[in-house]
Amino acid sequence: MATDVSEKQAEADWRVGLSDDRLRDLLYKLKLCRYFDERIEALYRQGRLPGAIYSGRGQEGTHVGVAYTLRDDDSLFPTHRDLSAQLTKGLDLKRVMAQFWGRIDGFTRGRDGNSHVGDWFGNRTWTPVSHLPLAYPVACGAALAYKRRGEQRVAMAICGEGATSNGRWHEALNVSAVHRLPVVWVVNNNQWAYSTPNPLEFAVPTVAERAVPYGFPGIRVDGADVLDVYRVALQAVDRARAGGGPTLIESVSLRWRGHAGHDPAKYVPKEMLEEYMQHKDPVKRFEELLLSHEVTDAEAVKRIQERVEREFDEGFEFAQASPFPVPSDVTKGLWVEDGYWRSEPSHEGGTG
Amino acid sequence: MATAQVESGAAGHGAEPRGKRTEAGEATYLIAIAEALWEEMERDERVYLLGEDIGAYGGAFKVTEGFIERFGPERVMDTPIAEETIVGMAIGSAMEGFRPIAEFQYADFMTSGFDEIVTAAAKYHYRSGVPLPMVLRGPSGGGVRASSFHSSNPEPWFGHAPGLKVICPAFPSDAKGLLKSAVRDDNPCVFLEHKWIYRRIKEVVPEDQAFLVPIGQAKVQREGTDVSIVTYGMMVHLALEAAENLSQKGVSVEVVDLRTVHPLDSGTVLTSVEKTSRALVLYESHRFLGVGRR
Ligand SMILES: Cc1ncc(C[n+]2csc(CCOP(=O)(O)OP(=O)(O)O)c2C)c(N)n1
Repeated sequence: MATDVSEKQAEADWRVGLSDDRLRDLLYKLKLCRYFDERIEALYRQGRLPGAIYSGRGQEGTHVGVAYTLRDDDSLFPTHRDLSAQLTKGLDLKRVMAQFWGRIDGFTRGRDGNSHVGDWFGNRTWTPVSHLPLAYPVACGAALAYKRRGEQRVAMAICGEGATSNGRWHEALNVSAVHRLPVVWVVNNNQWAYSTPNPLEFAVPTVAERAVPYGFPGIRVDGADVLDVYRVALQAVDRARAGGGPTLIESVSLRWRGHAGHDPAKYVPKEMLEEYMQHKDPVKRFEELLLSHEVTDAEAVKRIQERVEREFDEGFEFAQASPFPVPSDVTKGLWVEDGYWRSEPSHEGGTG
Repeated sequence: MATAQVESGAAGHGAEPRGKRTEAGEATYLIAIAEALWEEMERDERVYLLGEDIGAYGGAFKVTEGFIERFGPERVMDTPIAEETIVGMAIGSAMEGFRPIAEFQYADFMTSGFDEIVTAAAKYHYRSGVPLPMVLRGPSGGGVRASSFHSSNPEPWFGHAPGLKVICPAFPSDAKGLLKSAVRDDNPCVFLEHKWIYRRIKEVVPEDQAFLVPIGQAKVQREGTDVSIVTYGMMVHLALEAAENLSQKGVSVEVVDLRTVHPLDSGTVLTSVEKTSRALVLYESHRFLGVGRR
């Protein structure tokens, strides 16, 4: 009898309350992010993509796991590395790609580059600013707005572990605790901040333990396990929604690629990279988990793969067909009242 | 310019700033600013204040004295000493529909929130189309024996960050009308009050709550024909004094008060210079690359 209950419990637990459909959707998100990242890098290496790339490969468990807990009207404040989190929240892939190619249909209308993708009105995601972690204090403001209006909404901010060395990271954590803001702080600890390893960024063993002295819980989780990340993030989101204040989540993975496309990352020990790629691949691990629980089968996995490839190709075509902005528009949109951002861009890319 | 007389009209803690005018209806620059804040908070509940010691204490210069009693601690929000997060919270809450007004204890401390101001707030709308209706107020300028770190004029820095409106009023009426306009503006506005003017200059300020002064319009404060002094802030008062002295020597000076530093009203400046053929640019900040110097 007791065994029965715990077996049922175990069955319910592994899936963290997610239905089969949602689990398959989660796999689709993981595969979409992985495939997008790989194809974008290929195009970059072929010289077919302008600008820089900041691969999030190997960290999909973190990105997808945390963002999958958010509702549409919750807000997400990511950095240059976190496109996978934005795609998980539902960012329009076609427009992402238009932005990558500097086109008028990109979210910034060709004004900003690959790592500065965001869609506040459509998707409640912040358009990243390079300076780290500049969006942490801003997330406090969004969370303050939800609290003031008594809305059950949450702001989630992500940054790398290197960014936690910056003063404003600490400011934001402190203020969020003082005002008990509905915010979830995520640190994507991919173990390298450009070329700098953890011990040269902080002298404490973990990032997570820094939360406690500020007055709220911090949790460290294995970023290779998307469901574990999801479980922890969901608790944090629920807590924030219920008025319980902030939580810090440190999700540990490895940055598989260089800091940006130009960086071969020779400073990352080979064995470390191999260990993570072979044994801690969040996408492969989750796929195997779903197969072992018979939530999906090889045929369905193949269809997911075909779908993400098709979506990428459609996005690519859309981006290539989208016009560039016209040079004469370059000074428009500085002030709200000039109307640039309220006007529809014309087919030629200008606003007339 | 007796400060004490104006303040003695105060109706007491918790009262509307308007009650602090003289019987003749004069308000100091400081009271005019407090009136603007009060009226905008009464008019629009999305407007709120945040900053250090602005609640029970009423702010370092007492601009928000009595506000917390009327509007409560949520709308008169005391923050930790965390300038980047003060600005960040203004940005984030503006994105979510509020109209925040952040007070810096001194304009000097805006450097401690600089990145959020010039990197995040200034550029955000241009890049994303998201309006940021927010005001950053800072008591600026020298002349009050307040040390190297309480006397700065940071307006050229902010003028170099496209996307910020930078306002530097010289008179109580302009301060009130411009601050009300800034609160209603959908762009981030840096509103630099001058602390030398705070309690020294008073005038009859319009009572009408709909009274606004448009941002981006200079004003000729004194007409003349021989030379134009183009200036703003506390230097307007110095220029007016000089103009008065020079008139006794037969020199007719025109004083152009920019009122807004960015966007600059070059039309009014050029019209004046067309008339006088001579211009003197006068400002209090560092001479090199200041407002109007090339
Ligand atoms: C304030 C600031 N200084 C320097 C940089 C340049 N920079 C961009 S990314 C980066 C490394 C960031 O490391 P981490 O925060 O761990 O994030 P990751 O890139 O690993 O996701 C640096 C130094 C920056 N963007 N912002």
